[in-house]
Amino acid sequence: MKTKTFARFVAPSVLLMLALMAAPLIVTFYLSVRNCVPDMEVVKVQQSGPFGTTESVTQRVKLDNKGKPITLCRFVGLDYYRSVLGISPDAVSSVAMDVPTGDAVSSAASNRSTEFFGALRFTLLYTLVTTPFVLLIGFLVALGVNSSTQRLRGAFITASLMPFIITPVVAALSIKWLFRDNGLVPYFLSQFGISVFWMAEAWSARLLIILYGVWHSAPFAFIVLYAGLQSVPQDSLEAATIDGASRLQKLRYVTLPHLMPLIIFITLIHLMDAYRVFEPVVVLTQGAFTTSVQYLTYYTLVTETNPYKASAAAMLTTLGIFVLLIPLLLKTWKEQRRGV
Amino acid sequence: MKTILIRRTLLATAALVAILPGVAQARCDKLQSVKAGEINIISGSFPALAHIAKEMESCTQGGLKVQFKITPNARIETEQAFASQGKSAFDAAVVSGGVFTNLNALGQIQPMTDLVEKYKAKYKIEENMLVRVNGQVMAIAFMQNAQNLYYRKDLFDKHGIKAPTTYPEMIAAARILKEKEPGIEFPIAQTFSKGFDSQVEFVNMFVGSGGRFFKSGSAQPDFNSDAGVKALENMRAMTQYMTPNFLASNSDDVMNQFQQGKAAMGVLWASRAARMDDPAASKIVGKMEFGAAPAMVAGGKSATHLWWDGVVMPKNIAGDRETVFQVMMESLDEETMKKGNDLANWIRSAYKPTRFGTGVTASMKAGAPTWPTEPYFSLAQGEIGKVVPEVLTGTMTPKAALDAAAVAYTKAATEKGFIK
Repeated sequence: MKTKTFARFVAPSVLLMLALMAAPLIVTFYLSVRNCVPDMEVVKVQQSGPFGTTESVTQRVKLDNKGKPITLCRFVGLDYYRSVLGISPDAVSSVAMDVPTGDAVSSAASNRSTEFFGALRFTLLYTLVTTPFVLLIGFLVALGVNSSTQRLRGAFITASLMPFIITPVVAALSIKWLFRDNGLVPYFLSQFGISVFWMAEAWSARLLIILYGVWHSAPFAFIVLYAGLQSVPQDSLEAATIDGASRLQKLRYVTLPHLMPLIIFITLIHLMDAYRVFEPVVVLTQGAFTTSVQYLTYYTLVTETNPYKASAAAMLTTLGIFVLLIPLLLKTWKEQRRGV
Repeated sequence: MKTILIRRTLLATAALVAILPGVAQARCDKLQSVKAGEINIISGSFPALAHIAKEMESCTQGGLKVQFKITPNARIETEQAFASQGKSAFDAAVVSGGVFTNLNALGQIQPMTDLVEKYKAKYKIEENMLVRVNGQVMAIAFMQNAQNLYYRKDLFDKHGIKAPTTYPEMIAAARILKEKEPGIEFPIAQTFSKGFDSQVEFVNMFVGSGGRFFKSGSAQPDFNSDAGVKALENMRAMTQYMTPNFLASNSDDVMNQFQQGKAAMGVLWASRAARMDDPAASKIVGKMEFGAAPAMVAGGKSATHLWWDGVVMPKNIAGDRETVFQVMMESLDEETMKKGNDLANWIRSAYKPTRFGTGVTASMKAGAPTWPTEPYFSLAQGEIGKVVPEVLTGTMTPKAALDAAAVAYTKAATEKGFIK
């Protein structure tokens, strides 16, 4: 193929990838090494409203000649990365002259670092635990639907896809309502004298989110594997039957190797999806015992309203995805090369 | 048959055409110097807002089209739009007093004094709806909200307990009910969930204990004090009488615990009160009473805060400010309020308070202050919110937690330019 023709074929997707993936990444990185703050001054303010009048000393932004707020921007390098990772206690003590120093500073710093690494730990736990279950359950459901009668198949497929179709927030809410006080599950268990408070302890809160993850993502594995099952070579299966292979042997030596590329594909997609776990964390536990890295970025944006620091957290999250995907990407790359 | 059907359709269409202009004229029919175009307004999501949105969207006179966006993410979207270098994506926003403070401190909202003067009589804009900063009208408030006491009067009467006026009394009442009332295993229900909810609880109890968040006249933290420790110790003492799921108990969950008759008291938003008597969702219709949020100590002020919600316009407004103002005032007039009387505690003299609003009035009378107004306050609140659950689960002591939050806050406030 001529280079020019090749370029024409590739250009649209390269352009799209540049616009939708590279550009946001570059902008986020640019934001993460900068900091813009309004130039504040201390002022006395008299405010009146529905609850009376108050006078207070507060801060207000300085305005320029045209009445526009003055903003000061500067390059801060990797400061925000250090801040998110909790490895810069010295920067604080130099500014905060009359707040507690020493123990409190180091305890605050370690609090920050445990915050990030705690979130990372739970995200990895969630990712690594849900992946095999998603694959296994998806595969079992696919096998079940595949061997059901033609008439029932449509109904089974629709029912199995349901958890995947429902909006994540709504799905997470319905799981929460099942498990909260007076919910169906605690009520059912209480009939047997078992009392579990699902959101009260780390193990159960984490288990709930993992359960949600498996329930919500297994249908994706199911539909892909079900499609794969339709194309398993019948002649190989027949040959195996003639050779006296059992059902299990046929599954292991014929069906599974045929589905392997799909299994890798599902793993890849689910790893990326799971790493971005967010909705169940917000909805089910509001982050109690279960902070995820994505939730941390959101929390920084909401409570500190600091887009620059949130950008640093977002960059670290993206970096994490790459680290997580390296083994799989290497494998895919090798296979591609072998193909060439 | 076919002819009849066609005739019916034509008749129905004619009837619709006849009615439609009438509907449009009922609202926004006398706007002055209207500039046609799209008006975008944003707000958070609660029942009264859906009511107002409907009214605003019916303003279609003179080529106007009002888009009212209701989203739980309103605060972030408003702050981003108002801070934008270009024109704001929203011509107005409904904000709470807390968000107003931040926007105003950053010089992002525009005064409406002239417009209020011009239209005051037409829309019956009352003086106590006006939020003035150094004399200039910067926001127009239309409803108030507060967290107040909910208690099961039937159970309190049965056991001869008085409605608690202080937190120690509340804990004492909880002890009695837990022991004596079958079916009430966890007498207290309150929004202690991680994040915003437990932050607000802390702020209520901290200020109720006489605490100050900042050293006077500066943004330096002062919340790692005795009052802070007292507030956290009180929260911890309450957890003994709450469901062990308290770290995930938000307003919805607390409301559910009350409606199911599983909890007997707690402090919750007044905007949830009417739902106690909703027969479709509640088993305790007519049994819940409302009072002032308890004080931290006997004789102290009610440990809650007063909130208002109102409308503001950005400095970088894209639409015509006079048109936007009129559309907002049209749909916040007495008529709207009367139609949705029970949906909120409206700030209008024509509002008839229901029994669901008694808690707010009682809290106000019991000295509840307004929500803090420093623009760096939300940073302190956020950092405190991170450590409150640590104290409640016993992994940090109150003092160590507050010290850590003070350091983290100082860093965040420095990064944002409040501490130099």
